[in-house]
Amino acid sequence: MTAVVLALTILVAFQAQKTSTVWDGVYTAEQAKRGAALYANNCASCHGLALTGGESAPPLTGGDFLSNWSGLTLGDLFERIRVSMPADRPGALSREQNANILAHILNVGQFPAGTAELSTQTENLKQIRIEAIKPER
Amino acid sequence: MTLPLSAQTGGGPPSTKNGDWPYYTADLKGTKYSPLDQINASNFNKLEVAWRFKTDNLGPRPEYKLEGTPLVVKGVLYTTGGTRRSVVALDAKTGEQIWVYSFREGNRAAIAPRQLSGRGVSYWTDGKGDDRIVFVTTGYRLVELNAHTGVPIPGFGKDGMVDLKVGMTTGTGKQIDLETGEAGLHSTPLVVKDVVIVGSSFKEGMTVKTHDNTKGLVRAYDAHNGKLLWTFNTIPRPGEFGNETWENGSWATNGNTGVWTQMTVDEELGLVYLPVESPTSDFYGGERPGDNLFGESLVCVDLKTGKRKWHFQIVHHPIWDYDLSSAPILADINVDGKAIKAVALPSKEAFLYVFDRVTGKPVWPIEERPVPQSDVPLEKTSPTQPFPTKPPAYARNYIKVPDDLIDFTPEMRAQAKDNISRYKTGPLFLPPVVGDPNGLLGAMQLGNASGGTNWPGAGYDPETHIVYAQANQSAVSPISLRKPPEGFSDIHYVLGRNDTEFRVSEGPGFGSAADAPQPARRPARAAAPAPAAAPVGGLTVQGLSLVKPPYAVISAINLDRGDIQWQVPYGETPDAVRNHPALKGMNIPNTGQSGSVGLVVTRTLVILGDSQMTSVQHPRAAMLRAYDKTNGKEVGAVSMPAPQSGSPMTYSVDGKQYIVVAVSGGAYSGEYIAYKLPEQE
Repeated sequence: MTAVVLALTILVAFQAQKTSTVWDGVYTAEQAKRGAALYANNCASCHGLALTGGESAPPLTGGDFLSNWSGLTLGDLFERIRVSMPADRPGALSREQNANILAHILNVGQFPAGTAELSTQTENLKQIRIEAIKPER
Repeated sequence: MTLPLSAQTGGGPPSTKNGDWPYYTADLKGTKYSPLDQINASNFNKLEVAWRFKTDNLGPRPEYKLEGTPLVVKGVLYTTGGTRRSVVALDAKTGEQIWVYSFREGNRAAIAPRQLSGRGVSYWTDGKGDDRIVFVTTGYRLVELNAHTGVPIPGFGKDGMVDLKVGMTTGTGKQIDLETGEAGLHSTPLVVKDVVIVGSSFKEGMTVKTHDNTKGLVRAYDAHNGKLLWTFNTIPRPGEFGNETWENGSWATNGNTGVWTQMTVDEELGLVYLPVESPTSDFYGGERPGDNLFGESLVCVDLKTGKRKWHFQIVHHPIWDYDLSSAPILADINVDGKAIKAVALPSKEAFLYVFDRVTGKPVWPIEERPVPQSDVPLEKTSPTQPFPTKPPAYARNYIKVPDDLIDFTPEMRAQAKDNISRYKTGPLFLPPVVGDPNGLLGAMQLGNASGGTNWPGAGYDPETHIVYAQANQSAVSPISLRKPPEGFSDIHYVLGRNDTEFRVSEGPGFGSAADAPQPARRPARAAAPAPAAAPVGGLTVQGLSLVKPPYAVISAINLDRGDIQWQVPYGETPDAVRNHPALKGMNIPNTGQSGSVGLVVTRTLVILGDSQMTSVQHPRAAMLRAYDKTNGKEVGAVSMPAPQSGSPMTYSVDGKQYIVVAVSGGAYSGEYIAYKLPEQE
């Protein structure tokens, strides 16, 4: 029974996020704020405090960044961060910390905040598409 | 072990003429030229994937910065890959793995200055079946492997390896620690006749802990046994030519000045060409008054002895990070009816410096011209710098205000002018400044780290005497210096601003080698206040580059005439420009895209891939593109699943031509992809 309820809950959560994009308010301002502090201390030395990149690290905001990620999902970006970052200590940050940093990246990119925090689960994040341009509805 | 059938056929030494690709740059002359032409303008669009080789498992975690260019000799492909920098031998027809070699170096690799998979391997043969693969490990060991089995050669060095840290020194001759001492290398050794020549490189030089860093060296070893044959001191010692260019005895207290990129050699003349990098540090030279030979010099040495024949310093007293970044190209040209054995050096400054490679005399005059002077305390800039009169610069090498600023719309131009007003601007060789939050934030430069032609280098067609070079001309780079925090360094200035938190600039991939410690999860580093607002003096304008397109170019430079035969934008317009709301309805010609990539030259084509993913003209992909060599017209393109991250190469096995390119970046981990034409039309 518990398993069924759990499965249903996951299914509902899954469907709720199914069609979203980064324009749909997928993180909270509070989460981004936590992410900003984490970013400054774990990412900024290579990617720059303003996310504009450095000699050996690409920018995490702006046209070049969005060109390379538009069409993929937040799950793809989350996994890239989780597997290989921070470059000098890959895997050292928790899922929650990485989700907060992701929220900060979205905030700096001027994607709107919403009322629910970003999930820490890759499969959920894979339901949120990165779109450089706000889709017309 | 069974070798592919093709490996047992074919005669003569390995050569592009036989369909091989036996050197990183195709041949010892640095040309990246192959005469193959099965793949041409008429069929490039039909290319399909022959095989793929994913490098994820060549190390404990995937690599996202795969930069190798494989070799192919007699049907077998050799290259490096993965966070361990393992070596693999693959069947060049199918991609099937024949052998893999890896060496676990522990902490020595984990703290190495040049990590990840490197640029590939080199090949040596005695012509009688003793065939070897030569490469440098992450921890700076020179290794020779049996090309047929991947087993280390017992008679080479100790158990198949030579410890390259032995003989590397700081100060006036202090041996560096064999584990923690700073030295490494990404590039492939130069193997010529029975000699293996190896350069040296170090951590990034932006925020150095000491100006007395490890001193660069170039060394030659006997390919048979690993015995040291000669050493060339790129920082001359007392009594050696150029020592006095380190004033106040500063040769003794400065380091770097290594050779971190590919070298070339004229086998017949017995001359080796060394492209030397910057001394410590990249942007501040107050601790080393003088011209600092052989910093940022092209040095020609004798292959047998390592003795200097001639040199030309491209930048005096280097403080712009204009390391000589790629292989000098040997070119036999005809200028005004006179045959010249020339060497042509591509550069980050987008000048192609051309010399008589026997005498070192510039083929066209290179003039010393006055340049702006530094006002950073203790810094003593050279009053003049060398400017080639021919060929002209093949890409933008400084930002001319306002002409070079973005001008899609008047609003964008206005914002760009406003942004850049916070920086010092000026011509090439504008020196760094101490950034002031209430004044000028830095000196606006272009391309120091990633502009012009970088490590992927250029190519050359020996038939037509044309150099083909990709060059980035949008690498906007404001340089500010600051005093290092108390106790961090003995150097007076490092990269940064006094009003911002000091951050150490690490090199590419630093800390991500296979053996880098993986600490247990712990609370993130103590929180600092988040930045309050977007910083002023932004480097982008509405998300687009501060400078106007083309963002990068491909040029054909005629070495008989010293002019640019054609120049086209590199790649296609990024989605960010094409989809920009402020540019809707505007007809914008191809902007090209920023990036620094290598290319391969064939009988009719120049082939190179995109640095960015695009999705407007085709399903989301980076494209591998072919350009008509005669006019720069794009004649074909095929999809890659990620940007080109290593220079492409081409070869032929059993009558079939292949193109292999390393791709990686973004969400895509490292992969070598081989393309060929379909079996049936």
